[in-house]
Amino acid sequence: MKQVLESCLTATINGETVRIQAIAPTTTLLEYLRQSGRVGTKEGCGDGDCGACTVALMAQGADGKLHYQAVNSCLIPIGAIAGRHILTVEGIANGCLHPVQAAMVQTGGSQCGYCTPGFIMSLFAAYYDGTVNDACVEGNLCRCTGYLAIRRAASLVASSPVQDVFRDRLAQTATELGEVSYDGAQSQFYRPTQLSEVLALLQQHPNATLVAGATDLGLDFSHHRKSYPVLVSLEAVVELNFMHQTTEAVEIGAAVPLSHIEDRLRGVFPSLDEMLYWFAARQVRNRATLGGNIGTASPIGDLPPVLLALDAELKLASAVGERTLPLANFFKGYRQTDLQPGEVIVSCKIARTIAPGAVRRLSQSYKIGKRGTDDISIVAAAFCIDLDEQNQIVHARLAYGGVAATPVRAIVVEQWLLGKPWTAETIQQAKSHLKTAFTPLTDLRGSAEYRKLLIANLFEKFFVEYP
Amino acid sequence: MNSSDMKSVVGKPLNRVDGHAKVTGAARYSAEFPVAKLVHGVTIQSTIASGKIAQIDTRAAERVPGVLLVMTHLNAPKVSGEAGGDRKLPLLQDNQVRYSGQHIGVVVADTFEHAMQAAALVNIRYDEEQPALHLKEHLDQAYVPQGKIPRDQPPDSAHGSVEQGLATAAVKVEQTYTTPIENHNPMEPHATTAVWQGDRLLLYDATQGVFGAKKKVAAVLGMPPENVRIMSYFVGGGFGCKGSTWAHVVLTAMAARQVNRPVKLVLGRMQMFGPVGFRPETMQQVSLGATREGNLTALRHAGTSITSTFDEFIEPVAKTARMIYACPHIETSHRLVRLNVGTPTYMRAPGEASGSFALESAMDELAYALKIDPIELRLRNYAEFDPDKKLPWSSKSLRECYQQGAARFGWQKRNPTPRSMRDGNTLIGWGMATATYPTNRSPASAIAQIKADGTAVVRSGSQDIGTGTYTVMTQIAADALGLPAEQIQFELGDTNLPETPVSGGSQTAASVGSAVHLAGTEARSKLLQLALMDQASPLYGATAEDVIAQNGRFLLKNKAANAETYGAILSRHGLKTIEARADAKPGEEKDKYSMHSFGAQFVEVRVNPDSGEVRVSRWVGAFGVGRLLNAKTANSQLIGGIVYGIGMALMEHTVMDPNRGRVVNADLAEYHVPVNADVPSIDVIFVDEQDPHVNPIGVKGIGEIGITGSAAAIANAVYHATGQRVRDLPLTLDKLL
Ligand SMILES: Cc1cc2nc3c(=O)[nH]c(=O)nc-3n(C[C@H](O)[C@H](O)[C@H](O)COP(=O)(O)OP(=O)(O)OC[C@H]3O[C@@H](n4cnc5c(N)ncnc54)[C@H](O)[C@@H]3O)c2cc1C
Ligand code: FES
Ligand code: FES
Repeated sequence: MKQVLESCLTATINGETVRIQAIAPTTTLLEYLRQSGRVGTKEGCGDGDCGACTVALMAQGADGKLHYQAVNSCLIPIGAIAGRHILTVEGIANGCLHPVQAAMVQTGGSQCGYCTPGFIMSLFAAYYDGTVNDACVEGNLCRCTGYLAIRRAASLVASSPVQDVFRDRLAQTATELGEVSYDGAQSQFYRPTQLSEVLALLQQHPNATLVAGATDLGLDFSHHRKSYPVLVSLEAVVELNFMHQTTEAVEIGAAVPLSHIEDRLRGVFPSLDEMLYWFAARQVRNRATLGGNIGTASPIGDLPPVLLALDAELKLASAVGERTLPLANFFKGYRQTDLQPGEVIVSCKIARTIAPGAVRRLSQSYKIGKRGTDDISIVAAAFCIDLDEQNQIVHARLAYGGVAATPVRAIVVEQWLLGKPWTAETIQQAKSHLKTAFTPLTDLRGSAEYRKLLIANLFEKFFVEYP
Repeated sequence: MNSSDMKSVVGKPLNRVDGHAKVTGAARYSAEFPVAKLVHGVTIQSTIASGKIAQIDTRAAERVPGVLLVMTHLNAPKVSGEAGGDRKLPLLQDNQVRYSGQHIGVVVADTFEHAMQAAALVNIRYDEEQPALHLKEHLDQAYVPQGKIPRDQPPDSAHGSVEQGLATAAVKVEQTYTTPIENHNPMEPHATTAVWQGDRLLLYDATQGVFGAKKKVAAVLGMPPENVRIMSYFVGGGFGCKGSTWAHVVLTAMAARQVNRPVKLVLGRMQMFGPVGFRPETMQQVSLGATREGNLTALRHAGTSITSTFDEFIEPVAKTARMIYACPHIETSHRLVRLNVGTPTYMRAPGEASGSFALESAMDELAYALKIDPIELRLRNYAEFDPDKKLPWSSKSLRECYQQGAARFGWQKRNPTPRSMRDGNTLIGWGMATATYPTNRSPASAIAQIKADGTAVVRSGSQDIGTGTYTVMTQIAADALGLPAEQIQFELGDTNLPETPVSGGSQTAASVGSAVHLAGTEARSKLLQLALMDQASPLYGATAEDVIAQNGRFLLKNKAANAETYGAILSRHGLKTIEARADAKPGEEKDKYSMHSFGAQFVEVRVNPDSGEVRVSRWVGAFGVGRLLNAKTANSQLIGGIVYGIGMALMEHTVMDPNRGRVVNADLAEYHVPVNADVPSIDVIFVDEQDPHVNPIGVKGIGEIGITGSAAAIANAVYHATGQRVRDLPLTLDKLL
């Protein structure tokens, strides 16, 4: 790791090399774009909620190849774009309109036009992935069109991807992200490539903050405008960027973006697939990591219930050494964890084996929110039940988010279920226990009473779907 | 002379003329004009809802590098926030805090960063008073508003006696309905850039009304209006909140004058919850009485809505009840309750959207009480003329809307019994409601100029807030001028252009369109007159009636070889251009006719009985909106309105902290607007409608009718699915379990 800090970052924007100097590494990419006169990219919220700021980041996909990834530029600290290529709405009309632009004009997908650059870039990224569909604009809000004209634009380009300069550019081999040590406006930004360097940096700078996809921390840059003297990015660390699958278990590096997990593990854990589908939106999943989701220790984090139900185990590392810890022992209180100073989440391991004596496993997750997609949970739940030949429960995990100060398991009910038959009668009794298992709060998203009902009803729904 | 012989551009689904600029990021919105020596402003907002600023310490803020000004009530120049009509603006003139989020200071610095940093360092001590925050707790203070409801109607109305009508009724429905505070949340935040040139002020402002802004700013700052210029080329949505000039606009101008530099001020998303208006909370009592056969004998709609402590805005919830159904006894009223909130404002179909939730829900309740199909009930009470104004309709196709909408939706297959329709475990419900919105029009002017190169420029102040003004005006001008649309440049968004009204009340197409039509027609006739009187012209001696205009040429109807291009006429006369100005205004038609758009909304919902989740799964809306200027933009406007209605019905709700009035969901993560996945397939039917009376171009507004009736149609469908009548919006999941 270079100890000399650079005073300049280099990146490529729309094919042009830019040198970024004398600005804080926490300045967001969106602020940088707009301040440098590239005002085609819009700010609608600064919170990752609207997608108006969407740009395409060239990055390695789950398949190891280069892809255009739609990302929210309002949540990307400028330090993170060092050495990378960004495309904005101003950079994709190559002499004539790009097919996605032409389609949006054709169908009237742009009315006031303020959301349009964001939609265009989401469609652009999907266009080269061959995934132009409704889901590719799930992270973009439009207040004018009612979306239908945009959907028609999407369907016009869905089936006609062409060979063009943008596709040619993807044929290059993806290079690994390089190291960065940058100092701008009295803040330091490090992007090491080795875990040992991360641990050393944490030793050197007790005030350092780890950052992965910045989809949670990014709100502090963009919205709360907090400054961080030292940021250590985990994005390039090899030991945190792997996925390992055997018949026994799956191990996921903490810095692997959720969209990679979605692609590579599809079909392995139904409950994980389901929750990832409901998790935020495409732009966020392209950046958000598993380590970050666990690291926030948010009581409404969506993956912890799934991982708790699957008995996931964490690997943690610090300068002192490595240790493993069941996820269930990781959450200590509201936004508090067992993570020690100088410690990093390295990976998360999920066993694929079912309980001894069991012949089948039932497992699924549920997320209840107000909107069709892109919503915060009112309650999230994940269940895992192993049954023996007599249809008796030999292993039970019922995990919830949004019902307590941390993601939690209903341990008392789990134990009560052991040895019971998997029948409607058992479920009815379990439901009455579940109603008193937690004391959730009333907040904006839902009342305590409603949450209690959901805690019980979702388990019944699980039984109805997996009798 | 006429141009109807040629293929009309009006009515064609032309692509938006500004589409290219918008999809390439080239369109410049108000925060995006490069201005030399620009500095950045941010406002400081109150964190209490009522009281006084006891102390405000700006020293630390002033020490932040780059800070040029910290403006508070202690050092702000004296101005009058009440001058010039429109909204009464708190402009740092006293230490009074009237609502949470009121602008109580402005910081200007060389960078946005520095301004934000300094703003956070301003130390404020308040003498806090007990705020009034809840409508229900202050109903005893409801009062009769001094103001009128749109357009110039008294707050109360009475025909006959509702008491008497209810006494004779065989069946009655008397219920209370409530709607919450909702925020417009256009995607573009409010933004203003103020540039002083001597004693002249130029403002780039995100506004729905450049002329309104000009008048208000000039009046408040005590300037001659001609010294104020407002420009607004592209506006990223408005829906009403950009229809008034709010405090931040004037504060930006004040700050720019203080620092002697251009200042840009953009409100953050969070700052748009309070100081730029909202749809006010309402409580509405509806009483309906009917005979066994379903003939209404009484209709009362009494609405109470909230306003601020320092200004009055009436949500005209009961306006529709005056005209929508035939009934001998109709009474309506509007009351206000003052709370410590910002001043509410127009939000997409103000009154019609919120009021139709109550009235059309009540009609559904009545239909169930009578065991009559809800469409049949509405047909039995079909108003053949406006029962309030006692005037005939300029046109009305509501019957056709019910018929065509019901047929497309498959309404006759509906089993009316609640909870009777299912798909597996999922409950299915079908609901409908009537939609209506008045056709408004205001005076507007335009100038059309034909150039020697065969192109034309048409100019009219106005604004395009996403509704397609650039496009439809280009189409109207093309027909009026006899030119292809590509040859026309339409300019708007500048107070140096001819005056036009605010883009609100769905009136732009009718108002500005009429002016553009008249100006274009007049410019073309002037040009034709030159030719008809010119011996050198092949048209010499003909009468205007003998001539048609086509593609920039005049030709004789029965001798097409006798033709001449516009350019040839102009150059022979040594003219570079010929132009005409039109000042169009509504005439006596509004005294002769009652003018409204009408429609019918049909909705299918699917309700998950385990979680109470409601998804709208199918929608058919049929509308009679006069002449269609552009099917593509019109379709989108209606769909956009309907989806706004889905938001209103199922999710939109601004929540205040009960003690200090701070909005606790002031962001797009917690203030939900519909996402793509919330939107079903929506089938919009335009019922063929010719309206010869309404205005010279035969159009009725389309921007707002789409949301009217939407929330009620959904609530009625939810009742049909679940048997639960929710009378309190939004219809969130927990209200259904
Ligand atoms: C619009 C939007 C929607 C969202 N929707 C959802 C949702 O549906 N469900 C949900 O659960 N969350 C949601 N989130 C929250 C967020 O996206 C997730 O929590 C995400 O997984 C965070 O990952 P990240 O890599 O971006 O974390 P970062 O923001 O980079 O980091 C988050 C925290 O974790 C720490 N951290 C990161 N990696 C490690 C590590 N390896 N070791 C130790 N500490 C670490 C960081 O120091 C920081 O404190 C949403 C966020 C946004 C902006
Ligand atoms: S600005 Fe809204 S998501 Fe970035
Ligand atoms: S077009 Fe206005 S927000 Fe989408």
